[in-house]
This record gives sequence, C-alpha cells and structure tokens, in this order.
Amino acid sequence: MMRTIEILIVIIIITGAFIIASFYAVLPWPRQVSPVNLRRLAFTTLQVLDSNYDLSRAAFETDNYTMWGGLQVALSASLPPNVIYNLTVYEVSGGTTQLYARVVSISNAESLGAASDASSYLVASSNVTFNVTPEKIGEHGGGGTLYILNCSDANGWWITGYTAQSLAEDLYKLLSPYFTATIMVQNTTQLGQLLNGTKISNSPYESVTNAVIINTFGESVPIPQIYCQGYALQAEGYASSVSYPYTRYCYTLGNKTRYYNWTWASIVGYPLYYVSNTVVFANQNNTYGIYGMQKVYQGGINAFLQGLDRQPFAYNDGGITKSSNTQVNLLPNIIYYCNYYGIYPSSSQTSTRALSTSILSTGSNGYNLTLGLDMFSRFDSNYIPGAVYRHVFRGGTDVTGSFLALGLTRSPDIRLTALGILSYYQPRLYRSEYTTNGTSRLVVLQLGLVGGV
Amino acid sequence: MEHRERVNLTASTIDHLVAVTVFLAATLLFIGLFNQTIQTAVIYQRHRAIATKASDLLDTMLLSPGIPVNWGQTDSNLTGFGLQDPEFTQYRISPYSLMRLRSSVGEPVYYNATGQYYSNVTMGDRNFMLVPYNLALDYSYVTRLLGINNTYGFQLTLTPVVSVSIQETQFANSSATFNVTAAGVGFPLSYTTISYCFLKVDSSGPDSPSYDISFGTVNADDTGSVSINIDNVAADDSYAFIAYARLSGLVGMGYHERTNDHEQYVVPFIDSFEEGRVLLAHSYNVHVDETETEATVFYTATYVLLTEDFILREMPIITEKEHVVYGYGTNQTFGNLTIPTHNPGILVIPYKTTGTNRDGVVLMPWGISSLAFPVVFGGDPQKQEWVATDIRQVIVGGIAYQAKLALWSLEGYQVNG
Repeated sequence: MMRTIEILIVIIIITGAFIIASFYAVLPWPRQVSPVNLRRLAFTTLQVLDSNYDLSRAAFETDNYTMWGGLQVALSASLPPNVIYNLTVYEVSGGTTQLYARVVSISNAESLGAASDASSYLVASSNVTFNVTPEKIGEHGGGGTLYILNCSDANGWWITGYTAQSLAEDLYKLLSPYFTATIMVQNTTQLGQLLNGTKISNSPYESVTNAVIINTFGESVPIPQIYCQGYALQAEGYASSVSYPYTRYCYTLGNKTRYYNWTWASIVGYPLYYVSNTVVFANQNNTYGIYGMQKVYQGGINAFLQGLDRQPFAYNDGGITKSSNTQVNLLPNIIYYCNYYGIYPSSSQTSTRALSTSILSTGSNGYNLTLGLDMFSRFDSNYIPGAVYRHVFRGGTDVTGSFLALGLTRSPDIRLTALGILSYYQPRLYRSEYTTNGTSRLVVLQLGLVGGV
Repeated sequence: MEHRERVNLTASTIDHLVAVTVFLAATLLFIGLFNQTIQTAVIYQRHRAIATKASDLLDTMLLSPGIPVNWGQTDSNLTGFGLQDPEFTQYRISPYSLMRLRSSVGEPVYYNATGQYYSNVTMGDRNFMLVPYNLALDYSYVTRLLGINNTYGFQLTLTPVVSVSIQETQFANSSATFNVTAAGVGFPLSYTTISYCFLKVDSSGPDSPSYDISFGTVNADDTGSVSINIDNVAADDSYAFIAYARLSGLVGMGYHERTNDHEQYVVPFIDSFEEGRVLLAHSYNVHVDETETEATVFYTATYVLLTEDFILREMPIITEKEHVVYGYGTNQTFGNLTIPTHNPGILVIPYKTTGTNRDGVVLMPWGISSLAFPVVFGGDPQKQEWVATDIRQVIVGGIAYQAKLALWSLEGYQVNG
C-alpha cells in the first residue's frame, strides 16, 4: 500500500509541476504571434500622404486648419478602422539643449492601446534651395578662359552622330560654370586671330594665354584660310615638300600651344589627322566623301609634339598609337572626380588610338612631356588611352603647354573631355550650407491597434 | 504462519502492481500533457516565423523592380520578381508590372481567333483588362523566382485605398444627376476635391461613333458626397463617367457607364506590352456560342491620359471608324490598335452596331491604376492551417493602394495529442 501512496504523492508533485509550468509558460496572444507591422504601415502611410508633398506643406503650415483637416481625414481614411494614430510634427532645432521641439499633434484616440509602433519621416520646407557655386579656373591666377572650337566653316570627323556645333553647345553647358570666360570660336578666322594672340571677344576676362582650347571636330582640326597654300601665312601651315603638306599647320598649333601655355584638348580618336576649311578645301574630300577636308595622316600629332617641344619641324608620319581595340577602365581617382563633379560617363571605354608612352621620353625621341593626369588603365602597358600631357622643358619647372588626348573610339562621349579638364584643374565646389535647423521638420506617426486579442 | 506469510507476499505484490500501473499511466498522461504544451509553443513559434516571413516577402516584392527592371513594359520573361516602379524609389509600384500578374479571381477568357486564354479582370459592364496567358505571370513561376516554391504559398492583393462610387440618381429634362461618393478604408473622404470627366457617345454624327467630352471639378461635403448635374443627356444615350478624388496625397478614382448595346460591343485584348498593341474583337466571338446571326460593330478609339494636375488629356488613336464582324470558326476578324505611350491612361473605345442605333463605350486601363483595378494574385488562402498577413500603403501610378500579402506554410504540421 505504501508504494501506491508514494506513487500518488509523485503524481501530485508532477501535477503541481505541470500546473506551475503552465502558469509561467504563458503563450503569447495571437496578435503578438502574427502582428501587423505597424512600423512599416506607419512609414508607408506617411509616404503616401507626402506623395504630392501635401504632408510637407502641412508640416510647415500648422496654422492652416483647412489643410490639417484634410490631412486628418486622409489619415483616417487610409488606415484600417481598427488602427488608431497619433501624428506629431517636431521642429528640428539647432540648439544644444533640445533637438526636437513639438509643433503640432493630431490623434483619433486618447491612448494608443497596449501595442503601438511608430515611424518618423523628415520633410523639408519648399522654401529651401540648395546651391553649389563652383570655383572659377583662373580665378586666383592667370588664364581661366575656355575656347570651344565651334567653327561654322569646318567639318568634323569621327564625331559620328554629332556635329561639332552640337558638341560645342554641350561642352559649353558642362564647363562654362568653371571658367571665368567661356568663348565659342565661331569660325576659322577667329581661330586665326587666336593663333595670332588676339582676343576675339569683348569680355574683360578673356585671356589668350593659359587658356584651354577644346577641338570639338574630332580627328579633324579647323585651319584658318590664312595658313593655307597661297595665303599670307602659308609658311606656317603648308610645307609642299612633304607627303601631307598641311602637317606643317599641326606643328604651328603645337608651337602656339607652348607659346601661350594652352591646354589643347582632342576629344576622340587620332589627334590632328585632318585639317578642315570648307571654303579653301571646297573641292577636296577626306576620301570618305566629307568635303572641305585635307588629310594630314599620322604626321600631324608628331608635328604638334615637335612644335610643343620647340623642336625643328621634321616630317615624320610614323604611327605612335596602338590602333587595335581594347576595353579600358577609368582609374579610381577619376571615378572620385566623377562623384565630385557629378559627371558620370561609363567607367569602361573602348580604346582605339592610345598614344605610346614613348612620347614621355626625355631622350632624343621624346618631347619632354610628363603625365599631368592619367585617366584610364594602360593598354598593353605601353599605351595611354587618355591623359593630359604636360610639357616642361628639361631642367625647368614651368609648364609650357598641355595636351589632352582621348584616344577612344567614336562616337565621342563629351563628358569624358569635361571630366578630364575638371580633374586636371580641380576647381572646388562650394556647396551652400544646408542644415536641418529651420528647414526640416520631423513627422512622427504612431499607430496602435484596438479590439481583438 | 506459513499462510500469513503467503498473504503478506500477495498484498505486497498487488501493491507493487498497482503502484507500477498507476505510475506508468501517470507518466504517459504527463508526457502527453507536457508534449502538448511544447508542441503548441513550437507551433506558435512557427506561426511567428511565418508572420516575419510575410513582412519580409512583402517588402521584397514591393521594394525591388525585378529583373529586367522594366519587365512590365516588355513582353520578355523575367528572372527576378519585383513590383517596384523602376523610375521611383520606396513603395511606388509599377502599374504595368501589376498588369502582367495572372488574376486569381477572374474567370479566364478563351479567344478562338488567337487560340489563347486570357487573364481576366473585368470591372463593371464594359471595363476589361484581358492579358494573354503567355504574357501573364504564373503563380507557381513567381514562387520559384522568390525561392519559396514548395515551402510557402501566398496571395498578394492590391486594393485602392479610396473607393469612388458613382450612381445616376435622377434623369429629367435631358439632364442626368450623378451622386459621387468618395470613401477611404475606414472613413469618408470629407471635403475631398473631385475631378470628373463625362464622355457621351455620339453614334449619329458623320464621324460616329465618336464622343463628346466634358470636364469639371467640384468639392464633396463632409460625408464625401457630391451631386453633379450633366446637361444634354438623352434617355437612350450611352456614356462613361470617370471621377478622381484627391485629398492630402490620397488619390482614388471611380467610373460608371450606361450602354444600350444589347450585348454587341468591342472586347479589347492586350497583345503586346512592349509595342502597346491591343486586339479588338466582336463580343459575340468571345462570349456567345456560334448561333448568332451576322453582326458588325463600328468603333473608334482614343487614349486619355491623366496629367499631374488631374486633368484628362486626349490622344486620338483611331479617328475614322473601323469595324469588327462577328464570324464563325476561323472566319473571325479582329481589329488592332497601338497605344503610342507608356504613360498610364485609359483606352476609350466608343462603338455602335449596324442599323439599330445601339451604342456604348468600352474602357481599358493601360497601367492598372488608370481605372483603379484591384489585383489578386497567387494561391487560395482558404483552408490553410495558419495564414499570416501584412499590409503596406503604396502608390501605383499616382493612385493610393493598400498592398496585402497573405502567407502560409506548405510544409504541413499540426498539433498532436
């Protein structure tokens, strides 16, 4: 009998344990098991209310009772009937004591029940404007003039799908905020004036020296009539003794680039492969049906570099580019400037006319060039797809002319030219101070559930 | 003495037997009781996991545009599922991606001339959205894209937050009065601004069928209602009344039609999202057995866009009337048209039948929000052991919707004991 009594005692103990365990092991309410995500619901409700900026307007017009009445109706109408809310707008203050100060609050219940959750949403005043003021190139020194070749009497090549004039217009929009003066060179006569050191506008900020000249004509370069055969400066533009006589003009361009300390920019392909003047060469074409052009061939870039380095003109049409195709990528420092200036060309490009690193040599084959800015990964380790070359005479320190060459395939992406110029000169951007103090308000929507378990 | 010892031994044995039996019975009982408690707790945990999954899955669907991002505007298949409008961020949903979801509630329509079944969303009498099955996404395919096939089932529902109901309350002296009421999920849209558009079919003019269109803007009262009077409406006129209600970011729309076509009308079938091509069929070829007599329906077509200031702008597509003829077997003809834009709007097709002066107007949304069509996509949550739901407020083409996801487990478990 004792054992049966013992067992009964054991049963009583286990029953007690079960009761105690059941008492403490409380299972959650169904509402807690499968809760409506009130935080997300609150956030998405705020977004819907602000989809047409009505919430932002209301947050800054707390005295507009019509607007707030509409907001309250919209809030009630958009939430399920068993959801109650409290919407509070806080001023974001700049003080050190209290960051948020309550401005106004609306609610459809005295309390938010046992379970509630909230989301916040920052709205900005419509009166706030955000400005960025760029530093002007040349603002604190010489130069600062951008010349964009927009010559109406010349034709371009390898700018397929564009015209030089449309590219010039785009460049003007991209770069003019960064220069003290941006001047369109409207015809080859004006280009001739520039080569002669003469200003071509009435702008007090125009400076021929230390200027940047962008050739928007691709592989072609406009040539003033005066440098053509039979005209006054023929000796500087035409050499009858060589295979491509207008190679001499490219030598002059290099010479002037050094003399005036220009930065000459070639936007695509093989630099200085043709010269163009639609009046003088009206009956000559580039063998592809584009009239107004004369071929210079590969000697053009060699002659330019000779002129840049003040070497005597010696005709040489040997190629100095890698003319096969490969994909090259923007270097990390250039990608940084993409973000800084907000210019986003594709980070991978096709190189077809990368210049040989041999031009950097300081020996007899070189031109005293250094890399002012390297833009792309190398092609076959010895070819530079895009860079700004800086000319400094041996033993000197002063820069005497620079040359931006983008040896990429057609059609040109003009943003790369702009990026190259800006990354080289690095003008700073002064962003207007924008603080949340007085310009932003925090809207907090707290939701609670009523009814049910 | 020997007898007494035998009695004591027997009592002891009985005591043992009773004790062991009671102990074993009690042990089994308590194992069952504890097991039930533990299993209930496990089930609760699983239910909570489903609820968490529902919230995550809903965000996955609504915060990703899918791959390719513009799949709603193409005829291509997709490799990643998502409904977000690729031109926006956050909870803005593409009205075109939603069109490509195969409806779970509408009875599929088979069209003999193309040999295809069409996902069917039909609202009212003459408002259709029929999407061919080869372009409409299948539920099982989407579960595979989401990686939940054989583990979870779901139903996604998108319902307009604001409902705008329109009733013709009075007709007298060649004018019709409409009562327009706007209400939200839990509250009337008091003092809301209502923009409306009234399209009356003209089947008697030389360019008929065409329509006359008039616009207006009114304010509702505290119950969200307003009466609108439209003049020059005859008793047998066909018309469509479209109304938009907006208040503090909430935008909703509604429509109402009157037709006198005797079941002869034009049925629009979407044929290509990418090219905006729509096929137009005779209703007899879609809804009626091949016993009817020869019949022809003439139609024109216009695309109506809702501008940012809630004004409807017309874009004519077919200005000179064309026709579709009811035919038998393979002798069926259909017209087609191309919607020239990917801005959400309403395809308006006024039509008339031959001889009898029967006419009407068919509306088709291009971008599901244009007519605030609801969306029901996925499996059936009925008879599932546990269904977790979660909701979000979203914007679809400027119209406020509520997105609700119902999710359940397919892995099969139940409470024992």
